[in-house]
This record gives sequence, C-alpha cells and structure tokens, in this order.
Amino acid sequence: MKRYITRRDFLRNAGIGTVGLALGPALLKDVFAQKPERRTLRILQWSHFVPRYDRWFDPYAKRWGEEHNVDVIVDHIGLADLRSTFASEVAAGKGHDIIEFIAPPSDFEPSVLDLKDVNQEAQKKFGKQVPFATRSSYNPNTKKFYGFCHGWTIDPGDYRKSLWEKVGKPEGPVTWEDLLTYGTRIKKELGVQMGIGMSQELDSNMAGRALLWSFDTAIQDENENVILDNKKTVEAVKFMAELYKNTLTPEVFGWTAASNNQLLIAGRASYILNSISAYRSAQKDVPEVAKDVFFTPALKGPRGKAWACEHVIYVSVIPKFASKNADLAKQFLLDLCANYDRAMWESALYGSPSFFSTPVPSGDRGYPQVKGAKTLRDLHNAWFSEDPFALPGERKDKLLPLRDAEKWSTNVGHPGPANPAEGEIFSTFVIPNMLAKVAQEKQSAEESVKQAEEECKKIFEKWRAQGLVGKKK
Amino acid sequence: MKERYLLERENILAPLLLFPVVIYVILLVGFPFVMAFVYSFSNVTVGNPDYKIVGIRNFIDIIGDKVFQKSLGNTFIFTFVSISIVLILSHILAEVLIREFRGKWLVRFLILMPWTAPIALGTIGYLWFLDSVFSPIDWILRSFGLLGSPDALLGPMSNMYWLGRPGLAMVSVILVHVWRLLPLGTVILIAGMNSIPREILEAAQVDGAGYFRRLFNITLPLLFPVIGVTVLFAALFTFTDMTVVWVLTMGGPPPHSTQVLASLAFLKGIQGGDLAQGAAISLFFFPVLAGVAAIVLGLVKKAVVT
Repeated sequence: MKRYITRRDFLRNAGIGTVGLALGPALLKDVFAQKPERRTLRILQWSHFVPRYDRWFDPYAKRWGEEHNVDVIVDHIGLADLRSTFASEVAAGKGHDIIEFIAPPSDFEPSVLDLKDVNQEAQKKFGKQVPFATRSSYNPNTKKFYGFCHGWTIDPGDYRKSLWEKVGKPEGPVTWEDLLTYGTRIKKELGVQMGIGMSQELDSNMAGRALLWSFDTAIQDENENVILDNKKTVEAVKFMAELYKNTLTPEVFGWTAASNNQLLIAGRASYILNSISAYRSAQKDVPEVAKDVFFTPALKGPRGKAWACEHVIYVSVIPKFASKNADLAKQFLLDLCANYDRAMWESALYGSPSFFSTPVPSGDRGYPQVKGAKTLRDLHNAWFSEDPFALPGERKDKLLPLRDAEKWSTNVGHPGPANPAEGEIFSTFVIPNMLAKVAQEKQSAEESVKQAEEECKKIFEKWRAQGLVGKKK
Repeated sequence: MKERYLLERENILAPLLLFPVVIYVILLVGFPFVMAFVYSFSNVTVGNPDYKIVGIRNFIDIIGDKVFQKSLGNTFIFTFVSISIVLILSHILAEVLIREFRGKWLVRFLILMPWTAPIALGTIGYLWFLDSVFSPIDWILRSFGLLGSPDALLGPMSNMYWLGRPGLAMVSVILVHVWRLLPLGTVILIAGMNSIPREILEAAQVDGAGYFRRLFNITLPLLFPVIGVTVLFAALFTFTDMTVVWVLTMGGPPPHSTQVLASLAFLKGIQGGDLAQGAAISLFFFPVLAGVAAIVLGLVKKAVVT
C-alpha cells in the first residue's frame, strides 16, 4: 500500500480538483436550473371582524400558493396597526408584497406601484367596478391607481323593531328627521337611547360623513376644493346637537369600534349605524335581540338626498419594494376577485364585491347552490332577499333593504376622490370633533364649522403642495 | 505600578466597557433623534420617504394649531397631577411598607404587580372597568343608590360614562397612569427611607419630635435626592407616554380632551400621514424634558447630604 503521495499523484489530483472547482458551479447551476426557484408571497391584512372569513382566507391563500408553486404567508394584525406597520415597512424598504387596507391608503401613493394594469384586467374580466371603489383607489390628478379595490362593506342603520313599533314606526326610520322624532319618543317613553358615535374613531367618522352628505354638503367638492363652511353644514351640525340632546347619551363621545356591538347586544340601543357585523354577533350571543334587529338604508336628509359611507373598503396595494413579486401579487388579487363568491359567503355577507358582474365559478363552492345564479349580482340579490344565515324562526328577508346598497353608498371624500387630504381629515377626526363640540355646547355651530374648515384647508394645502391633491379650480 | 496587561489599564478598560452602551445609545436614541430633527424641518410623509427641507414651517403650523395647544396643556396637566398623586401615595405606601407586619410580602407583591404587567394589557382591563355599559364601578354606584335614580347623588343617568365626559375621561386617564407609576415611586422611596439612619429618627423621637416634625424636618429633607429622582423618572414616563391615553380614549372624548403630545404626534405623524409634523410635535419633548432633568438633577446635587 502506498503511504506517500508522489509528485505525479499530487499533480493529477490537483488537476482533477481544479477542473472540478471550475466546472462545479456551472454543472450545479444546470442541475438546479431545471427546477425553478420557489418564491414567497407575503400578505398583510387585518384580523377580520368576522373571524370565519380569516379561517377561509388563509387556507385559500395557501392552496393558491400550491397551485402556483409559491409559498404564501398571510399575516393578520389589528386594523389600527395596519398604517403604522406599513409605514415602517416603507421606511425600511422591505416587507409584505400585498397590503390590504380597509380605508383608502392614498397617502402611500408615492411608495406603491401603479396598478392600472390589474384594474384594467379586472374590468375586462369581471365587468364594471362600483364607482366609489374606483374613487377609493385611483388618483385623478396623478392618473395613478395606487390600489386595487376588490370589495367593500355596507353601512346601514340597524334598528330594534319592537321599540319602533311601540312609537308607531314599525318599518324604522326613513329620514334623519325620523331619528329625531321617534328616537326622542323611544328614549323618553321607553328609556332606550340610540347609538351614533361622535368620538375619535372609525364609526363616528362614517356617521358624520353620512350626515353631511345627506344634508347636501361635504368636506370637498368634485374638484377637491374645500367647501365645508356653508349653511347646510351648519344645519347638519345643529341637527346632530339636537339629536344628541334628545336621543343619545355621553357614551357617544367615548364611542369605540366595539360600542355598536356592545350596545346592541346589551339591548340598550334603539338604532345604531353599523355594518351587519353587530347583528351577526347578536345572532350568536343574544338571538332574541338579533331577531328584533332590522335594517334601514341610508337615511334621507331634509331635501331628500340619502347617502351612507361604505363601512369598510378593501384596497390592496403592492409596494415598490415588492416589485420583484408584483406579477404574483397581481395574479393573486385577480384570482381573489374570481373567487369572491366565497369571500361574500365566508364573511357571512359582511363583504360585498366591487365587481358585481363577476361570473360565479362552477362546481362545489362550499355553500348551497343558488339556482340560476350566474354572476355575483345574482348571488348577492338571492342572499340579500333570503338571508342564508338567518336563525331558525327568524325572518329571512331582513337584508332586503340593503340589496341595492351600492346606489346609496359612497366613498370617503365624496363627491370627490379619496385623496390623502380627506384621509388625514378622516384619521385626525376633524368631523366628529366638529359635531361633538356643538353637541357638548362648547361652541356654536357656526364657529365649529368655521374652525373645522380652517383645519381642512390647511391639510388640503399641504397635500396639494405634495402634488397628490388637485389644483384649486 | 505599571499594569502587565492592556486590559488592566483603566484608560483602556473603562472606554472598552462603556463602548457597547455608547453604541446602544447612538443607535437607539441618537439616530432616531437626529432623524426626528431632520424630519421636523422637512415635508416627509409616511407614504413618501423622499423629502424636501421646508425650514421651520412645521413648527409655525403646529404652534398655531389649536389641537396642539390643547394637547400641550393636557400634557402638563396629565404630568403634573399624576406626579403629585404618585408622590403622595408612594410616600404613604413606603411609610407602611418599611414597617413589619403580617402579610407584608403579599402587599408588596400586589403593589408591584402593575409594574410587572404589560401596560397595554393592564389598561385594557381598565377599559372594562370604565365601560359605558358594563362598568362594575357604575354597578356598585347604582347598588348604593348613588347613581341611576332621579335623586341620586351622581345623577339620574344609568352610567357615569367615564370615557365619554371630558372631565371624567381626564380623571380616568390620570388615575390609570398613577396606578401604573405607583410601584416605581414606592420602590424608590422605600430604598430611600431604608437608607436614612434609624439613630437620627430615634434621637429626634427621644427629644420629643412628633411624627410630622420628623417627617418635615428629617425624613423629607434627607429623602429629597430620592424624591428628585422619582420626580424625574415619573416626569419622563408621563410626558412621553401615550399608551394609557391611546388605549383608553384615543385622545378623546372630543374635542381632544385627553390628547397629549405623544398621542398627538402619533395621530398626526402616523395615522394622519404627516410624518414631518409628527416629528415636530415630538421634538417639543426635548427642551421640556432636558430642562426638567437639568433642574431636578441640579437640585438633587445641591441637596445631597454628605
């Protein structure tokens, strides 16, 4: 046996080694090139108000990943943390590939990709988008789709029929004036208040805007000029103060996102402005209260106009730092739209589609088949005519008044787009504060409106200087 | 004697041991501070990290802003009242806890609990206590006939609406913050009291000095440096805290009744998207807290008994 290495052995082995080292990476590259690299798609979204939606969505996303040879990771966080989390991701330059907001994230426009192609593709495949969904994802000044809006949530009025029956209005309020007239009687005669928030939180923002729009006024006009300080706003603010004095309690100044559910479930609200999630919670926790809850569409103002703010609007963005995965992210969003029948069903009708003409996929969809339903519109009409989630012995036609909700629902920023100035006014609660100060008798309606307009103008000017809000016209 | 090894030399060992701390302070305090300083003179937003320098425009805007003025006032009220209550209560607790009694360990444990529990979690507990529908405090008040009937002392309404009425909301926020800070104040004061030589107090007692004489002429003067440190810590924690306010009221009830500078900076900078204004608001902490620290530490230095 050789115990030593000859010069020849050394040269031979060294030569083989050198060739191996030189060719190795090339050979390995060829081997691995046959198997494409598996990518990861990261999604960030809120923990849904209806938990069964998340229980459906997460496995759906995973399955989609398997079909596309992608690992899909879905992270859920509280809705209040969405903005701050994404802000830190923008600052760090890395993070999730899709971020689903529940309010228009228009101020993030410079940091996200233009989703014009997805929006166009979706319109081609699924038909026309509801107009306020477009206004919540498109900046007409920069001509950029900063987001893709796949769905939204109806924000109706929920009333306790038994209470309204006792004061002679069994079908519930139709106008804001009805709220005052009959709500006052219900509080005085039956001792039950209403629950319309005037606090620094989401639902109060919605309620305040619905009131303004139904009183024919708004923060901005179609061309993004601030028009808040006018007689109709003063009229609306005075009305709200009157409504507070006669039908509400100080709890509305400490209103939180949970207050609607809480008050309704406690049986201590004759009327609330909320999505159907409060009713769904009541169905689970206090069926006898739920059976007594009925719905009204947007209430009419003094001149007959009726608007409600969408309760939640799902706008997904793809950050610029995720451009490597943009193709996957876009495909995921389009496929989600194609499967929106499941999203509607799994959210127990909390979520409505932005594209009503989307065809209903064939086969077993995980819900009882609806005869003749070819599009989401058909499904929506059928389910809202006969609520499949109604409790045994409960009336099934309660959701009927909400069937054409997209006609009386609109976006934050109405009648203009949901620009960043409207977003900041929304996030800093200018409107609930304007209403509350008068209700608390701390300021006159005229002064409060004037002060709110000044705040709004400053905010608008700032974002105008950033080029994200249209020039004054 | 000359040291054999380099690490035995004080001029090398000391900087070496301090080095990690210096790096830590630079990275976690210095860097964000410089960023906040730069941002406050810019037009940066959360959605657009590219920015232009706009001079002192943000400062002019926020100083003229009524919400900022109100928040500044609230911050001082929140800080001053909280610290005053903490000082009084922690002194009482410390007086009790330096004495021997049965179950002292349990009392100490209970008092320290708020400090060990995550602040957000504890505050969420208080959300229930102060709830507008299910508040157990209201339930007790109603049970004693103090609330919910036409002739009740606290009014005919069924609930107090702690977080819906501006005055009560501020009281609630302050009390929860006091609950949070009390253990810190108590522990510091217990340490201070234990360091006072018993002979001095005993001698004063023998000479006929009563409790209050001893308190004001011996205990408090000797405790002054410790009280100074307590005030400094409490001021720092209170002035920069937004957790209690944010969890309980989000700065409400309207109009910004419990908004403090820290929550306003978050509201404007992150929620509202105007990072530059948020940074400008947060920079207001710096001169105030630096001033408080300088004054307190100066007084403490003068008062140190050698």
